[in-house]
Amino acid sequence: MMASLWQYVLSGVVDGAIFALVAAGFVLIYQVTGLINFAQGEFAMIGAMTAAALATAGMPTLAAAGIAVLAAAVVGALCYLLAIRPARKSTGVTLIFITLGLDVALRGLALFVWGTNPLSLNAFSSGNAIALFGGALPPQAMWVLGSDVIVFAALYVFFRHTYAGTAVRAAVANPPIASTFGIPLRTFAFWSFVVAAAIGGLGGVMIAPITSATYDMGLTLGLAGFVAAVLGGLDSLPGALVGGFVLGIVEHVAGGLWSTGWEQGVGFLILVLVLVLRPQGLLGRATRRA
Amino acid sequence: MTAIPGATATLEVRSVTMRFGGVLAVDDVSFSARTGEVLGVMGPNGAGKTTLFNVISGVQRPTSGDVSLRGMRLTGRSVEDVASCGVTRTFQTPVMFWGLTVRESVEVALAAREFGGTYPPAPLRELAPCGLGSPGRRHAQAALRERADVLLAGAGIAAMADRATESLAFGEERLLELARALAVEPTVLLLDEPLSGLNPDEVDAVIASIRAARTGGVAVLLVEHAVGELLSVADRVVVLDHGRMIAEGSPAQVAADPVVIDAYIGDELE
Repeated sequence: MMASLWQYVLSGVVDGAIFALVAAGFVLIYQVTGLINFAQGEFAMIGAMTAAALATAGMPTLAAAGIAVLAAAVVGALCYLLAIRPARKSTGVTLIFITLGLDVALRGLALFVWGTNPLSLNAFSSGNAIALFGGALPPQAMWVLGSDVIVFAALYVFFRHTYAGTAVRAAVANPPIASTFGIPLRTFAFWSFVVAAAIGGLGGVMIAPITSATYDMGLTLGLAGFVAAVLGGLDSLPGALVGGFVLGIVEHVAGGLWSTGWEQGVGFLILVLVLVLRPQGLLGRATRRA
Repeated sequence: MTAIPGATATLEVRSVTMRFGGVLAVDDVSFSARTGEVLGVMGPNGAGKTTLFNVISGVQRPTSGDVSLRGMRLTGRSVEDVASCGVTRTFQTPVMFWGLTVRESVEVALAAREFGGTYPPAPLRELAPCGLGSPGRRHAQAALRERADVLLAGAGIAAMADRATESLAFGEERLLELARALAVEPTVLLLDEPLSGLNPDEVDAVIASIRAARTGGVAVLLVEHAVGELLSVADRVVVLDHGRMIAEGSPAQVAADPVVIDAYIGDELE
């Protein structure tokens, strides 16, 4: 019993690491633009499908993975330039509906381009499962966890130790005043989409060898990423990390102990509990002074 | 009521009128402010001082009249444009960048000015000492940090450089806002009641900063209810009442002007 529970936790950690990457995209865009981008999961799908398609066509796995992340970033840039920026004067609700539209459009585009068949991608490194205190992690898990370490460390260094990152934080704190200091809000909004899409795409690429890639995987990943982001606090990148792991572990443990049908249900139950008991999320700020 | 002949008019306010429905908040006001002077703007509540600042900084567009900076028309430009032309302001209630430290708040203003609107990849200032970054870049970072510390020292808040802005008291926020405004090396600095809510030490620090800015060639426009302090620091004073400019002159002239005394100051000068 304990051994299988531990295995559920380990599986949850792998999924959670992916959720954390998708959640980081939600948080980045939300912080910089105030927008909840419901197309976030599709960036992961674009990454996964592009990598799998290129690898299937004969490209080396790592090269396919790199191009896939770039492809997701380009899609993110286009989403911002073609759909969000022209409507930037609209209300928040309108913009959120635009992101929902983007979500449907990107999924439709993927169906058109790649069809309904799942595509597989080889693990990035071969080898046996990694034994850990009686449980086992697939070799791909090291790549997944390594991506989390690199992405969150890079975001930390950017926000805390560069002037551009400080400027983004100033812009988040008070957009109109920041812009009078010459801090370019629109440039930051653009880059938030590009970086969020690249991080989402990386998440998709990393999980593709474990789950395979399908045109509609973005829906589940996007929802999980959203729940993880809200769980951790929509304005907190560390919260995205914590929220991702909490959600991944809870889902797998619940799914393992009861039935896999419970996985998402329990995730949403936790979301409701957090929203009722701690609406700002686990690591979010309670209130901001005006 | 216009520029004194021979002096360099930096900011020119010409016949500015601001009407809100039936209310005439600013009524045909003209004056100029020159490089290296402190121009006091006095008047009772509702005299139109803050509205005037809003018009100058581009927040509100005047009903008629215009504002120009060194011959360049500011009226009709956005707040960002006016700011990039060199007009910086502080607010009655200080506006902070929550989440930044005190030093970061000033550094971000310095860096934004340094890097302009383009934002090339930013210097990794903490990593640079570890050997990343060219010597030139490291030198630029060190210089920027040093300038930030000089500005904080000038405002008397060097000791709280590493504190979070959320932890500052009201008066400390004012001092930081002033240091941040000076970081962009403005041509014109609009200060909206910079002394209110300050303790005596903080008042001294603000007045010292204003004097230093003047020496540095900034045209300072100072709205202040503390009449004694305003008259002591200002080189010239304009007095507004019900939106109209009722007097302009040296602090001594204005303080002795019967119209001014009648309209506003009353016993406060005694």
